[in-house]
Amino acid sequence: MRIRENVCNGCGQCVAVCPVQAIKLVNNIAVIDNNLCVECSVCYRDANCPTKAIKMDRLKWPRIIRSPFSNVIATHKLTGIPGRGTEEMKTNDVTNRFGFGEIGVSIEIGRPGVGTRLSNIELFTTKLSKIGVEYEKDSPVTAIIADEHGHIKEDIKDERVLSAIIEFKVPEEILPQVLRIIRQVEQEIDTVFTLGIVSRFMKDNSIPVINVLSQEGFQVRPNAKINVGLGRNF
Amino acid sequence: MTHSLHRLGNKNELKNDYVILAMIAASEREKIPDFRVKLLRIAEILKRYNPTNIMPEFARKLSPVITAVFTDIETVKDILYELKREDLGISIVVSGLIDEIGYATKEVGLNMHTIHLSLGTFGKKELLPKNPETLEITTMCGHHCTSSQSIEYYINLIKEGKISIEKAAEKLAKPCVCGIFNTQRAIEKLSELLKK
Repeated sequence: MRIRENVCNGCGQCVAVCPVQAIKLVNNIAVIDNNLCVECSVCYRDANCPTKAIKMDRLKWPRIIRSPFSNVIATHKLTGIPGRGTEEMKTNDVTNRFGFGEIGVSIEIGRPGVGTRLSNIELFTTKLSKIGVEYEKDSPVTAIIADEHGHIKEDIKDERVLSAIIEFKVPEEILPQVLRIIRQVEQEIDTVFTLGIVSRFMKDNSIPVINVLSQEGFQVRPNAKINVGLGRNF
Repeated sequence: MTHSLHRLGNKNELKNDYVILAMIAASEREKIPDFRVKLLRIAEILKRYNPTNIMPEFARKLSPVITAVFTDIETVKDILYELKREDLGISIVVSGLIDEIGYATKEVGLNMHTIHLSLGTFGKKELLPKNPETLEITTMCGHHCTSSQSIEYYINLIKEGKISIEKAAEKLAKPCVCGIFNTQRAIEKLSELLKK
């Protein structure tokens, strides 16, 4: 993103809407810190700039990678859907992506509202790859993992994004190992992350994985996303 | 993979916050030439039940997803009943209190299929806003496009009498292009912040 200094009237509306606080008023002119900016385009869309001073630059590699991880309007080529995630459990009643005995894990790095360098993904993936997790093939994060050891492509490591979601599944018995890795990375990482666990309901509507989580010291929040089983194959 | 999963708030507040998402699986799109008609039919149903917010019309015409947010479980129950009766075959996900969704699906006669549980936030939490109300508002945007300082900005405008609380909630909802930002809940949260 770019703000034309000669056009800006210093109203500060773009400063307010920036989700990562990358815009500041300097001498009554809005200035974008390009290092912090994640190219989400929220300032362009929602600041309602009275002088139309905000411009979207044509981005070049590797900076262009910021956009699909930050700009909700940008549809990632891999997923075919707007946003950073995939279909995951939303269509599981049709795809059966997560079967009985399989657990899905989502680690959204940089959320809520702090942002992250893509290099933080490696903190997780280099450890997770050793225990053989199955990364979601349609995830934008999986697309930037360069090798079987979980390293991220070198030229994009320093790029900063609003958030990046590592999505994978494991057999239920591997979950405790995953949770211990997450606890370990929590001590090393320089940003925040949210954690989600996907599971099938048993026939009696129970969710046995909650016991495993509890044994490993993780508490489940009272709200969740629930696929209510109305989808079908055509 | 998260979207409406990590909405913050206590159980009492979350009783007024339910997101309904309809999604056609990519694998099925070629098999159903009229999938857009089906999605728009779902949007019509959601709209009829007066959501506090809904995906804007331009997005509904393009997206493989339809989303809206409601403020009570009884309305969600009625919608699920209607969607079951319509039998469109499109996947439906409800986000909100697990117990309440369990109640609604049982009443309607649906078998819950898959759950995405939230374990919360980890890491350098000292980087997060100090006011819990701030995060309760910003996490209502599934892609976190609503900024924390915009809340401060609108609080100041409200105090100066330049904008109403209702209008401020609408402004805060604007970056959320999925239409899942609960404007009613934002009004309540802004009112709490104004008292501080």
